[in-house]
Formats: sequence, C-alpha cells, structure tokens
Amino acid sequence: MTDGGDAAGGDGPDDGSERPDPPYEAAFASPDGDATVARLAQTARRYGYGGLVVRSRTAAFDAAALRDRYGVDVVPAVEVVADEPPSASGAVGNFRPDYPLVLVRGGTDALNRFAVEQDRVDVLAAPLSGDGGFNHVLAKAAAAHGTRVEFDLGPVLRESGGSRVRALKGLRKLREIVGHYDAPYVVSARPASHLDVRAPSELVALGTEIGFDADWVRAGLAEWGRLAARNRERLSAEFISPGVRLGECEEDDR
Amino acid sequence: MRHLPKHLRPRWRYLVVGLESWAGATFARGPFQREVWYAAQNLLGDPGSADADLTVVRFRFADGAGAAVVRVRRGEVDRARAALACVDEVDGRRVGVRVRAVSGTIRAGEESYLGGAGGFGDESTVVLGPDDERGTGRRRADGAVDAATSTGRVGATDAETSVPGRSDPANDAASDDN
Repeated sequence: MTDGGDAAGGDGPDDGSERPDPPYEAAFASPDGDATVARLAQTARRYGYGGLVVRSRTAAFDAAALRDRYGVDVVPAVEVVADEPPSASGAVGNFRPDYPLVLVRGGTDALNRFAVEQDRVDVLAAPLSGDGGFNHVLAKAAAAHGTRVEFDLGPVLRESGGSRVRALKGLRKLREIVGHYDAPYVVSARPASHLDVRAPSELVALGTEIGFDADWVRAGLAEWGRLAARNRERLSAEFISPGVRLGECEEDDR
Repeated sequence: MRHLPKHLRPRWRYLVVGLESWAGATFARGPFQREVWYAAQNLLGDPGSADADLTVVRFRFADGAGAAVVRVRRGEVDRARAALACVDEVDGRRVGVRVRAVSGTIRAGEESYLGGAGGFGDESTVVLGPDDERGTGRRRADGAVDAATSTGRVGATDAETSVPGRSDPANDAASDDN
C-alpha cells in the first residue's frame, strides 16, 4: 500500500499518536450510550486516539485495567445535566473531589454563564444545544476562569437539513468569538456509541471543511488529555495549591 | 470513445474504508453508495461532490462488518474523508466509518485491507457487567460483543460478559487492519 503521497493530503493522519499530546475523545457510555466503556476504549484505540473521556457518571468500569488492556488513557468524568445553575452548582461541588474532569452541559443562557464563571468547572459542554447562546462576555469569563468551551461536531456528523445548518452556524459564531478572546476550548464528536466514534484524521478533515484550522482542531482534541493530566495532579495528595506542592525534604534541611 | 491520452486522464486515490454496524445488520453496495454521495453533496455541495467523485469501487459487508474501497480524485482526499465521516446510517442502520488507508491502486488497497474483515462467531446468552443485563450476545473474532438486551443494543467486549474468553484473541486491542 502506498500512503497517498498527496500534496494536498499532507497532514500525516497517523502521526497523531507520536506527538506529545495525543487526541482524546469524550464519549457517553452505557447506560447513557449504547456501548460499554471497554468497547469504546477498544474503538478509541483502533481509531488512533490516545485517550477516552467517559462522560457518563453511572458507567461502571475500571479505568486502570482498561488502560493496561487497550493502551488508552481512560479518564472518568461527569457531565452535569441540570435545569438551573443552583442544582448544577450542587452537583459540581459533589463530584469535583472524585472526578478528574467535571463538565457542565450548557443549553440555556443561565447554565452557559454559570459554567464559564466557575473555576471548578472544566468544560462547558455543548453550549449551543437547546436555546443557549454564547457571546463575548461569556468568552472573556471562560478565558478568565479556564473553563474550556466545547465545540460539538456531533450535529455536523449525524444531523441533516435545517438542524445541521443551525449547528454549523453556531459553530462558526462560537469559533469567531472564542478565537477572538483566546478562550480555551475542546473539540469532540460527542459519540454515544462505538459506531458514532470517528477517527481524529476524519474529524480534522471535517473541521477543515467547515472552516476550522487543522491544527486548531487537533489542539482541541488533545486539550482533553492536557486537562485530565493537570487535574489528576491537582487531585493527588502532593498538590496543595498552584505552585505549592509537598516535596521531599533533604536530610540536611532539618 | 477513444481513451484519453495518459496525461489527461484523471489521477485517482483509493480510500480503504472500514465499516461496522450492529451484529446482523446487512446492506448492499447500492445503499452505501447512495449515502456516500448524499453525505458528499450535503457537505461539499454539488461542485465539490463532483470534484471528489467518491465512487464505491469495491464493497463487502455482511453481518455487521465489512469494508469498501472508494475512488477519489487525487488532491480531494481530505474532503472525501470529511464526507465519509458524515455517513452515519445506511438503510436505516447505524454505521461506524473509518478510513483505514489511502492507496494509489485498487489492488494494493484491497489486498491489504479487504481480507478477513470482522464477522461474528457464536451466538449465546450473555450477562453484561454489574447491572446483570442479560441478552443475546454475538461475538466478533476481534473480541467485541454486540448484545441485544431488553433496553436496546449494547456494544461490549468479550471480557465483560459472563462467559469471557470464548472469542477473545490474544490481544483484542490489536489493530484490526487485517
């Protein structure tokens, strides 16, 4: 097999795993989705992902065992789904100590605003689902509080007609605002089964087609991993606060 | 009509596409080709779709697993990738689509990648995970199990079933590029 040799296709799709920051996908697992975490991990591995974020809190799995078996970094996460900010706030407080990643699903103006103004929230998921909006105020808040704004490619992959057009419109608007304020972001196809997963090179190609920069999409896929690594360090016992950590004392220091 | 002189003939690339669906799902080349063109037209528009071509030149799919070779004009490979990613259903059956390789000739592509793709082995009642979900499980040679439970279909792996090891290859994390 010859690998293309295309002048236009020179994005080296399979080199992704060799980079320091491999792409991650964030999926819903059974019972929220139609596949178990193990099946998703197997699929992620085949498709060339370096990691898998599990958005479903109720999914039961052994992340360490799956990591050993499939060579994919499995990150337990929770995607908080709430109607109002107060209930979301309670859920975030409950889950924050136990999960490396805490996501809040947006969809209303109030929830979007809540998520980007909380340091405790890692990702504002699907901000443009429902009738939620996004503007420069939220983008500035997201940049200030480090909340990643999710670019949801799911509707572009799986919807058609009017809803797809609306999703594309939303993605473009979000891209312009987030890009302008340099707010942090993540990219995902929001798969709910192993059949919904698409390979990183496909997502990059799709992103390019709908106006994203290829490297920008790659960075968004890898951001999940960087975020997970940072938060795992923060959850570890040695961590006290940013810049302060429990080190070993040297013998002479006493 | 006479053949075009060689320098005027279009140059092609061939995308080897891995296809997956639930156990038991079957569809033919026709519906798949229709979905590919439909996806390309919706994403790339008529001109882009015509440029990319996207003819399915080889196709094999049975019982939830298969592969295809899709012809693309050279230089349009990335746009073709994007269009193929948007194929999510064929004949009403959900499909997973992945470009496994890009090849310069049909033969090179089909030799390396259309070999023994997937296929399901035995059928048995399995109990999944901690929720004790029970259903009919179909095991794939690569260690994947599709279970039909009371709440719907669940994709799982062999190790999660009540009788693991029946289809488990030595390493079910290995690449399926067979």
